[in-house]
Amino acid sequence: MTTLLAVRGLSKSFGALHVTQDVSFDVLQGEILGVIGPNGAGKTTLFGLLAGNITPSAGTVAFAGEDITAAPAHERARRGLARTFQVPRPFGHMTVFENLKVAARFGGNLAEDEANAWVERVLAMTGMQGQSEQLAGRLPLLMRKRHELARALAMKPRLMLVDEVAAGLTDQEVNQFIALVQAIRKSGVTVIWVEHVMKTMLTATDRLLALHSGRVLALGRPQEVFNHPDVRRVYLGA
Amino acid sequence: MNEDLYWMFIDVANGLLSGSMLGGYYAVIAIGLALNFGVMRLVNLAHGDWLILAAYLAVAFLSMANVSPFWTLLLVVPVMYVIGYVIQRVMLNRVSVQAAERRGMSASFGLMSPLLVTFGMSIVIGQGLLAVFDSNAMAIRNELSFDAIRLGEDLTVSTLRLIFFGIALLMLALVQFFLHGTHMGRAIRAASDDPEIAALMGMNANKVYAVASGISLATAGVAGVMIGMSRSFQPFDGPTFLLIAFGVVILGGLGSMVGALVGGLILGIVQVLAGTYFGPSAQLVAGYILILFVLAVRPQGLFSR
Repeated sequence: MTTLLAVRGLSKSFGALHVTQDVSFDVLQGEILGVIGPNGAGKTTLFGLLAGNITPSAGTVAFAGEDITAAPAHERARRGLARTFQVPRPFGHMTVFENLKVAARFGGNLAEDEANAWVERVLAMTGMQGQSEQLAGRLPLLMRKRHELARALAMKPRLMLVDEVAAGLTDQEVNQFIALVQAIRKSGVTVIWVEHVMKTMLTATDRLLALHSGRVLALGRPQEVFNHPDVRRVYLGA
Repeated sequence: MNEDLYWMFIDVANGLLSGSMLGGYYAVIAIGLALNFGVMRLVNLAHGDWLILAAYLAVAFLSMANVSPFWTLLLVVPVMYVIGYVIQRVMLNRVSVQAAERRGMSASFGLMSPLLVTFGMSIVIGQGLLAVFDSNAMAIRNELSFDAIRLGEDLTVSTLRLIFFGIALLMLALVQFFLHGTHMGRAIRAASDDPEIAALMGMNANKVYAVASGISLATAGVAGVMIGMSRSFQPFDGPTFLLIAFGVVILGGLGSMVGALVGGLILGIVQVLAGTYFGPSAQLVAGYILILFVLAVRPQGLFSR
């Protein structure tokens, strides 16, 4: 398998606070890489560093073989890197269709007609056909979460960074989202998925990356990482 | 008695009519300020000076070509667009809320510094106009200044103001269509909603802001020509019009296009009716009392989203 994203020695500190320290890992083309870690482990900061809305203090990020460490967020998006947020952030005064279309036209570099057709497909794929003309700011929470994924998908990304969709959902709803993320992967998108719910991570990912205090604790198959003594110590105190 | 009633009706009708016409003119003066604030959260203290600059541009153009003042729009509007685009790109984008946050400074710094920068710009524009055109009052000559259309025996409306009103409606419709019906318009709305997300969607927010700022000054171009055609002006008249624009935007709600029209109409009608019943000096006072009242009761404006 080829490497899509290569992270080397990535660090970020805010003053004396080191949120990310010397983090290195590869993301393979077509996989779902889960990222776990307790609160404050640096998961969200890692996403910010990868998506380009936080600039690193040190280290490099290469995407599809090209160094993007210095590239601003909008350029990374156009290269095929999409990010979602744990608390969905739709353009609230625009309709669902408009939200997705903006993503398709800019991030996806699609022309007007292509964008319209692609957005229709994304709406169908994410089960949001009926919501197309709804103002995104008025969607109920579950739909907002879907919308967050749908808009990222509308960018035709090569790599999608998914930030905690399962938080606060019932088992049944979580299963729907697992199916959705897997469908997204099946359509050819590589996924990095941050989640607190361990069960989700064990069943839905190909590999797991465990972070603790901004450092990589373990990286490997989900079960191996879960059974890793350091991980068990951090999570269970055992 | 019957005649008293008739004249009362005529007074009110005239007040409403010419107030509305004045309101359309006010709306055009305010669109640019509303757009600037609505999209970029930027309070442009130089807005009034840009209007005056546009009026002088029209004067300069007319000194070279002897045509109807309306033709000056063909030059003034694109020139103002380019000025707006460039100023935003090379200057205002560097001091925006987003730029401050990128440099790790507090957002309030990003709110303060554009105020200082546009205040400085206001001084530079005024002094620049003084240096080039001297302080004599200017006006854009036109044949319509004293024309009026008679709607009834005692009911008239100024031709120029009626044309301005038509232009105001057209401009608001165009801006509204642009924001909702075009690719760039949607981008502007998205970037105004959440610039960080807009960037993550692949948008270069700085470029989008530059276009928005260009459009804002293009509307100021139209307003400037209107001002020049309706009254005389001098290099330092900008703040007077900034105040009008602020009034309209406060009434209508910051950043709302429909609000700009309604705010303009309310301000215009109140001023004219106050002038009719309490004399010319009441005209300005009534406007400001209304603005203070709205600020106290509904500070977000009547049409704020």
